[in-house]
This record gives sequence, structure tokens and C-alpha cells, in this order.
Amino acid sequence: MRNRSRWLVGIGIVIFAGMVVASMVAEVYAGEAALAYYRQAKINWRAYEGQKLTIGLNKHPYTESLLPLIPEFEALTGIKVEYLILPEQEYFTKLVADLSTQRGEFTVIMTGPMRNWQYATPGWIVPLDPFLNDPKLTDGAWYKLEDFFPGLIAANRWNGKSGGGVGEGPLYSIPVLSESYIVSYRKDIFDQYKIKVPTSMEEMVEAARQVKKNAGIDGIVARGIPAASTIATGFISGAKSYADGKWHEIDENLNLRFDDPRHVKFVQLWVDMVRESGPANWANMTWYNAMETFAAGQAGMIADADFLAATYEDPSKSKVAGKVGYALIPPGPGGATYSGLWTWALGMSKATKNKEAAWYFIQWATSPRTLLDATIEYRNYNPSRVSVMSNAQVQKIMGGWANYLDVVQRNLKTARVGWVPNPERVRLGDIWARALQEVYFKRLSTEEAMKRANAEMESVFKEIGLKK
Amino acid sequence: MNPQRSHASSVFPVVARGLRASVFALGIFLVVVWTVFPFAWILLTSLKQPLDVIAAPPKIVFSPTIDNYLGIFIGKQRGQYASTRPDFPRFFLNSIMISCGAVLLSFLAGVPASYALARFQFRFKEHLAFLFMSFRFAPFIAFLIPLYILFQRVGLYNTYSGLILAYQLISLPFTVWMLRSFFMEVPIEVEEAAKIDGCSWWGVLTKVILPLSVPGMAVTLILGFMFCWNAFNYPLMLAGRQTFPVTVGAIQFISYEEVLWGQMAAASLVAVVPQLILSLFVQKYIVRGLTMGAVR
Amino acid sequence: MQAAAGRARGRRWEERVLPYMLLLPGLLLLAGMLYPFFLGLYYSFTNYYLQYPHLFKFIGLQNYLKLLPEPKFIYSLKFTLGYAIVAVALQVVVGLGVALLLHRRFVGRGVLRAMFLMPLMMPPVITALMWKVMMASTKAGILNHCLSFFGLPPVNWLGDVNPSLVSILIIDTWGNLPFVSLILLGGLQSLPYEPYEAALVDGASGWGIFRYVTLPLLKPFIILAATFRMMDALRIFDVIYATTVGGPADATMNLHMRAFFFAFQWYHMGMGMAYAMLLLGLVFLASFILMAYWRRAAEQVTL
Repeated sequence: MRNRSRWLVGIGIVIFAGMVVASMVAEVYAGEAALAYYRQAKINWRAYEGQKLTIGLNKHPYTESLLPLIPEFEALTGIKVEYLILPEQEYFTKLVADLSTQRGEFTVIMTGPMRNWQYATPGWIVPLDPFLNDPKLTDGAWYKLEDFFPGLIAANRWNGKSGGGVGEGPLYSIPVLSESYIVSYRKDIFDQYKIKVPTSMEEMVEAARQVKKNAGIDGIVARGIPAASTIATGFISGAKSYADGKWHEIDENLNLRFDDPRHVKFVQLWVDMVRESGPANWANMTWYNAMETFAAGQAGMIADADFLAATYEDPSKSKVAGKVGYALIPPGPGGATYSGLWTWALGMSKATKNKEAAWYFIQWATSPRTLLDATIEYRNYNPSRVSVMSNAQVQKIMGGWANYLDVVQRNLKTARVGWVPNPERVRLGDIWARALQEVYFKRLSTEEAMKRANAEMESVFKEIGLKK
Repeated sequence: MNPQRSHASSVFPVVARGLRASVFALGIFLVVVWTVFPFAWILLTSLKQPLDVIAAPPKIVFSPTIDNYLGIFIGKQRGQYASTRPDFPRFFLNSIMISCGAVLLSFLAGVPASYALARFQFRFKEHLAFLFMSFRFAPFIAFLIPLYILFQRVGLYNTYSGLILAYQLISLPFTVWMLRSFFMEVPIEVEEAAKIDGCSWWGVLTKVILPLSVPGMAVTLILGFMFCWNAFNYPLMLAGRQTFPVTVGAIQFISYEEVLWGQMAAASLVAVVPQLILSLFVQKYIVRGLTMGAVR
Repeated sequence: MQAAAGRARGRRWEERVLPYMLLLPGLLLLAGMLYPFFLGLYYSFTNYYLQYPHLFKFIGLQNYLKLLPEPKFIYSLKFTLGYAIVAVALQVVVGLGVALLLHRRFVGRGVLRAMFLMPLMMPPVITALMWKVMMASTKAGILNHCLSFFGLPPVNWLGDVNPSLVSILIIDTWGNLPFVSLILLGGLQSLPYEPYEAALVDGASGWGIFRYVTLPLLKPFIILAATFRMMDALRIFDVIYATTVGGPADATMNLHMRAFFFAFQWYHMGMGMAYAMLLLGLVFLASFILMAYWRRAAEQVTL
């Protein structure tokens, strides 16, 4: 008996070891054609041969797309690349530990507009303009910075002044995708029960109600956990649109304006909508709960990231493929929508010892061909380069998602970063989301909750010396 | 009634044997259902395709697939990008190395310490015992960034030895106190007998205390190993990709646009296997009577 | 004469020096942790913001003075303590019951014991995520689905204020009950025969044996298990963070969560460390009390 178990253990070890070895075998040899494309750039790719880079990435289709291409980069430049990938939450925890101690473990990092406000304030990241403008380091004609959607490049610029300044000042990161916010709805249900696609917030509340009454499923599903991510997508887009883009949570004098009547009304509508027609456990729904509920066919609408359409339209992942329609976030009385905007982007840590090598990586990773590959092969949406967006194959894929392409292209015309720049954006969002929950559970009236949010954030601003 | 049976059957105060048996059976049944239900769910999830995972109402009957297991080992996924060099086997290996090393180190340092605390009288004994325990007081938050800074400075970041040292925070106080309690259970007469026979402290330790504490050591070993294996926050901060254990690895199935529940479930179940093997192997030492009666 | 003196000296060394030598390796290993601890303590007396290092200043007890009167802190304190007491009490009582069950000889005991340990073999993070999926209130939630089979109404496990507290308890207990049971099982297996023989000679009943022999002998192990559970229940974090993130409406915000948010979400190290130190003080106090009980129980046992 003991011999048999020893045998089994032995076999198990052999199988396991075999798998370990198999998984460690080196990847695809970089093809010559690919290298030829990069060698067209009139820079010396091998100038920093022998150096080492550690890049920190969050788990995302874009970063997935980079991994098999890294041997290509190493063959091209002779720079050794080590990487680390973690989901978003854990990634930022580790990243900030590194940035704040300036240890230089992470050289190239994934960041974005709101994160840049946090990292640029203490000077943890470096502007990329000097690298872009140096002809020895960047072949402008080959790299084509102008190929990026201007709004996305602007989103990654900030002049360092809280309360505004997005679009001016140094460029801190190069965008690799764009994410805006739209309403995805069940076209089949809306058609069946003759529900109107909402063109205002009030209509959205009504539509949710109608779906719940007629189809027996939740009319709307939305994020609800008490964290900034709940605010960041559909909610902030709706809030800004409701006020025709004229209301912001912080005004030019850095006063908090949660208690503005326009916002109070919007919060009232939103919370009533999710309470009445949303899932019972709205208060602990993360983005994937909401997304999966919609994809499982259990919700009539979701106001969240646009690229989730790739999942909704995939029959292997979603029960509602082909049944989804897309619409803009309901506009305010003025008729225009102001969706929020997010771009994942590659930036560089100040503690990087070999900044030029790091720039080479960023340049390579955001070059037209790499980004095209990322979108076509690895479903990196939405493309941040015009050339990739207009690529025939990409247009065909995205065109296959009902009216998605049309809606997103319209959306991108007015989409802009939803938050007001300040280094305490995360805390502000957390306070905001908590206030929503207080209203949802009827512990506070909307006005009271918003006033308290104002007061709490004011004291934070005073604490950090942003306000006197 | 021999003392062993009465020892065991002092459990239930009920009189009738039939009633006792059925209460016992009910208890076992509840324990099994309570324990197994979530695992059954995880197992089912690991065999499901993405569409079935999110299905509402939940699917108990579906067409299973082993793609999730293939995915974590060799990167093959249906209709999905194939990640390069899935890291899971390496994470698995890391977990084994780090957990074994940490528990070994804890025992090496913990056995003498527990022996001292159990059998000797000396000044500051209780203070030192409490000091050992106190290292487990701090919430990981308090340690994380300072440890991170310290490890980076002395070059222990992203190394096996660094993690094994950091894990002592988790396992050493536990080991010391557990072994202390079990060592104290050893009848003093046996020790006296050994001392009269001329044993030094080392002889007493190796010939009397350790053999008679096998059940306790087995329990401490299993639990210590599991604590180390399932640590998450420390290795997240103090390890890099080369030394991440499976706990950090399993969380990587949360991507930006979807959560690969099937693969996460598969990875979690595979990670259970070494602990299960260890438990099955060690639990037969948690048996009384192996060592009792040594006095006679 | 020489030999006796030598032996006396040897014995003195054994009694005086040896214990400390035996403790030395363990203490050395843990000594390295003192630096991070004191650094954390120091930070709690400063207003260290990761993002604004220029504001760094030693401010003494100001962090503590600021947080103590806050109603949010008071709630967190009450919740942390209340949860720990309820959780530990429940887990010890039920854990003892299960240990007694698994102590009897029956077919398949070995396999059942190993199987019963399985919840401990999952990292708390994954356990919490899996339970979160099972506890969903949408139609995809398996728990509510099962309830509907019995004709019971669905429960809003994690989405409502009061049920979320119970749900956290369920997840925590599921993951940690085997811990208590295993320690008690090991204890049961280590108990000596003599008291039982004596009790039988005296003609004691089953329940009497349990109450007057088994229980007192097990006390050190019960208290030990309770101490470890108490330390962990006071600091419970992963389960809450992965399921409710401190909600709904701050209902599950315990001190550890608060410390985490300040330190790792809002990068306010000073305040985060203050919360962490307060929590540490709480754990210290609880363990101190429990350890005093342990000493008393251990003395009674060795008598």
C-alpha cells in the first residue's frame, strides 16, 4: 500500500515537473519582418544595449498583448526586460510603494490621467516631452505622435494646478487605449415592450422601471461599492451631462460643490433608480458583478465602460450577444452628453536609472504597429491611434457590434476626463461613493449627505495645504 | 469500559446508544455539507466555460471543459489570447519552497524555544513568552511599507530567503506557543525517569519530549504550513514575479475587462493539493495511544 | 568532590543560562521585525503623506487626538470588538463540538479529518471572492438559488447593512473553524489516561467526565485557540475588503479597514499608522487578558 502511494506521488512529481519545464520554454523567436518594421525608424535602437528594465503593468488585454512581443523588443534593442503584472488594485498598491520610496524597481509604468495627478504632484513621474522632441531618441516621422487622437494626448497633459489644467503642460504618459462611457441596453427587451431609449435622466429612470415591470429582470445594473471606481464611469458621466457640463465637483476656487442643486437632483434620480429597479445587492457590486449580470441577461441597462461591448457581443462569454443596443449617456436639458474619459497610458518613473532605455520601450510599445497588433490580436479597445481605429479590420470587428461604432465615435467628440484635477481624487471619489450609500440606505437625505461630503473634502484639502 | 473509549465517548451525555449514534451521524453529515458545499461549487466553476460561470440561474448541469486547467498550466485557452509562459507552475513551486522553508525554520528555532518555555523556570519567562506572541499582534498594514523599505535596502526583496524570514512573523509565534502547550502535556514523571537515568536536557528533549508530542507537532506542522501557504499581503509587497506564491498568482485572473473565474477556481484547487497531501500524510500522527503508556 | 562541584556548576548553567540560549534563535529571527514596527510607530506620530513629503512633520499625538472623537472611529472600534467576541465565541464552541466528533473512532476518520481541514487550505482572499460570487443577490447567486428550493425567501447577503455582518461571520467561520477544531483535536489526543481511569473508578457518568475531566484538561488548548482566533478576528481584513469594501454604508468598516484606507488608498501614512497602532494596542490587550487565563489553566493542568 505504501509502495503504491509512493508511486503515485512520484508520477505526480514527474508530471508536474514536466509541465514546469514545458511552460518555461522560451517563446516565439522574433520574426525578421517585425524587426524590419521597427528598424525603419531613424534611431539607433541598440544604443542602450545591455541595460535592464523592469516594467510594472496591470492585467489588461493591452499588457497581455505586449508579453509575447517582449522577446522581439529584446532582440531589437539588446535591452533586457523583466515585467510584473498584477490586477489593478494590487498593481497600484505595489506601484505606489515603489514610487514613494523612489526605489526605481518599476521603470515603465501603466498610468492614466487621474493617476498622473497623484504621481506628478510629488514628482514621481517624468514628463515625456524631452524624449519625444529629441531626434536622437525618437523618429517623429515614423512614430507619428499626431496619429493619436488629440483628446487622448490632451488628457495626459497636466500643468500641475489643481482645479483645472488638463490638456496643458507636460505630457506624462502616452495613451494606449481610450475608454468612454455609454449606455448598453437590451434592444430586444426595449423593442418588445416598446420602451423608449432614454434621452434624459428622467427617461432613464422610467425605462429602468419599465424593464423591471415587464421583463421581470433588473432594469439597471451599476457599480455600487463604496469606492471611487463606483463614481468613475456611468455615474460621473451622467452627473456632468445632467448639468450640461457646467457643474463640477470642485470649482475654480477649489470649493467643493456637491451640494449644488443640479447635482443633488441627479443623485436623487440615480439612487432612486438603482434602489427601485436595480439589483438588491447594489451596495457591493464591483464592475465585474455589474458587467457579468448584464452579460448573463439579467439586466436591462448598464451605464459603464464602452469597450465592454467586446464581451457583450461575444457568444462564448455573453448570453445577450446580438441583442444589445448602445446609446449615449442621457444628456441634460441642453441636449449634449459629457461622458467621462479614461486612457491607460505608459509613463516613466523618475527613479529610473536608464531613462533612455525606458523611453525606447515606451516608443516601441506605442508605435503604430504594436498598437495595431494589440487591438486586432488581443482585443485592446478602444484604439488610441487614428490609424488603428480606421484600419479596415478593426472597423469590421467594431462595426459588428450593433451601433457601437457610431455611438462611440459620437461620444468621443465631447468626452473628456470627468474629474477635476487634484491629487486627492481617490479620496474624493471614496467620499462621494460613501455619500451615495448613505442616501441609498436612507440614512441621510440627499442634501445632507452632499453637504457632509463637501465638509469632509474641504477638511482634506485644508490638511494637505491645497486650501487655506 | 477502558479509559480510551470512555475518553472518546465522554462526548455525548445522552444515554441511549441508538440516539447517540444518530446524533453523531447527523453531526458528521452537517460537518461534511458545510465544508464541502463551497468546494463543490469551486470545482464546478473550474470546469465551466465563461458563459456557464456567469449563468443566472446558476448551472449545475452543463458541459464541462478542462480548458481552465490547461489554461493555467500551458496557456491554452479557447478563443482567447494565449499568454506567454503561464506563470502558474512557477508560482506553485515558489509556494512550496517558501512555505517549506518557513515552517522548517520555525521548527528549528521554535522547538528549543518552546522547550525552554515549557520546562524551565527562569526570570522573564512569561515576558519572553508574551514577547513571542506579540509579533503576531500587528496588523499587516503596520509592517508592510517599512518592511518593504527594509528589504529593498538589504537586498532581501524578491528572494526566497527574504520571504522565509518575513513569514516567521506568521509562523514562529504560532509554532512556539503551540509546541509549548503540547510539551507541557508530557507527564513530568517520564522526564524525571529519564533524568535519573542520566539524560541531559538534550536527551530529555529528543528522547522524551519530542516523541511524546508527536500529535502536537503534527498539528503545529500542518497549521503552520497552511498559514504560510495562504499568506497574501506579505508576498504581494515583498516578492516580485519570480517569487510570487500561488496566492498572489491566483489573484491575477482578475483582468481589467473580465474575471477568469474558471481559471481562478482551477488554480485555487490545484493549490490545495499539496496541503491536502500533507494533511493526509500527517493526520495519522494525530492519534493518541501512539505514545501513551510509556510510563508503564 | 570535584565531580559534584562540576555537576552543580553544570546544573546552574542549565538552569540559568540554557533557557535563554534556547530562546535566542527565535528571538533573533524576530528581532529584525522591530525596525519596521518602530518605524510604523514613528510614522503614527507624524503627518506623513506619501504624496506630500514636504509636509512631513512630527506632530506627536495629534493623529490620535483627531481620530478618537470621530463617530466613525467609535463605530469601527465597537464593530471590531463586537465582531471578534462573537466570532471567537461561536468558533470555539462549534469547533470544540466538531473536534469531539472527529475524536471518536469511525471508518473514514482520517479522510474526514483531512477533508475537514480543506477550508484552511484556501487563501482568505480567494475564499472571500468565491463566497461573494455564491452570495450574489442576482439570480446567479447559488445560495439564494438553494434557499428557493426550500421555499425560503432570498437573503440580501452582502448588499444590506445587517445581513452583511452575518455574511462576514459566515465566511470567516467557514475558513477558520477547522483551525480551532484541529488544535482541540490535537489537545484531545494528548490528554493523559490517568484522570479518566480515576474518574471511572469513582463511577462518573459520560457528561460528568466531560465536564470535570476533559474540559479542564483541554482548557489550555481552548484558550490558545481562542487567543489566535481573537488576534485574527480583531484584524480581519481580506474577507471584508474582497466582499463589501467596508460597506454597506460603512457597516463593515473595522479598524484594520480604516487603517488600510488611510495608508494604502489615500496615502495618508500618519493616520493609517495611528489606526494600525490603536488596533495593535487592542490586540495586545485582548491577548494579555487571554494569556493570563492560559497561565492559570496551564498551572491547573500540570498540578
